Amino acid sequence: MIGKYVKDEIMVVGARLILGAVFIYASIDKIIHPAAFAKAVYNYQILPDFLVNLTAIVLPWLELVLGILLIIGLFREGSVCIVTSLLLVFFSAMVFNLARGLDIYCGCFSTSTEGSADAPMAWYVFRDGLFLLPAFYLFFRTFLSRGQRAEA
Amino acid sequence: MKHLKEKIPLILLQSVIIILIASTLGFLVNQLRSDGLSLIGDWSPEARLTASSGESMVISLEEAREMCSDKEAVFLDARSPEDYARGHIRCAQNIPWQSFDEYMDRVFEMIPDNAWIVTYCDGEQCSLSEDLAKELLSMGYQKVKVLLNGWTRWLEAGLHVKME
Repeated sequence: MIGKYVKDEIMVVGARLILGAVFIYASIDKIIHPAAFAKAVYNYQILPDFLVNLTAIVLPWLELVLGILLIIGLFREGSVCIVTSLLLVFFSAMVFNLARGLDIYCGCFSTSTEGSADAPMAWYVFRDGLFLLPAFYLFFRTFLSRGQRAEA
Repeated sequence: MKHLKEKIPLILLQSVIIILIASTLGFLVNQLRSDGLSLIGDWSPEARLTASSGESMVISLEEAREMCSDKEAVFLDARSPEDYARGHIRCAQNIPWQSFDEYMDRVFEMIPDNAWIVTYCDGEQCSLSEDLAKELLSMGYQKVKVLLNGWTRWLEAGLHVKME
């Protein structure tokens, strides 16, 4: 019995560390290059123009704060919630753009598949999907599992 | 589920605090840094195509028409070869931005250094022409202009087009 709990706690800590590191790493370049990140946000053609810069200003820091919180284990419930929500939003945005044939690289609507950035976009979708796994796991352990709370 | 419901106030409180901290840090750093963004950016094509000198890369349809008929500029269709073949501005060559690497040599051969260049693509959201124009600028060409939503506007004005 003890062994199972220890194993669960290790997995929870592992998930927190992995996600935390990913978020911190993801935030750095965006903080260093705000204009480039703003252009990337703009290219998604999802947010209205007036929200693009605000997003580019706040989102990287949100990722950094969340990454740190995940690693040190503070504000567990809030951080897990926001992290999972963010990953879902990013995932949806990428799938949406993939589906409407938006070539993020060029920002054009194009249904022709040759030479487009479809390959990288599909890879980003897959990768984000991968990150969702530890996120869902943490969400489950934090809120939904009976008995043991995710208290690592 | 019971766990989740009970924790909603806690989740909300923590989330608000997290977002407040992140926003404060974001805005603070943005204000203090030299390359900070303006809170509401001008993302219109015109703004994106204006150099820091204030000079705009945007060319009007009328000017473009003149430059085409007077053969004063090299017109570059930045769209894919398929789109180009289906119809392009009469005086335009095809330099598909998405395969630019393959066409780079051709660009150097075709276009003298001091030539006027006009790039275009299709649609208000299309940034192929913009990206091609900026690349040409970084390659050393100094007289590059962009005809926004070029193909549609050219068609609507009933100007000379060609199909392959």
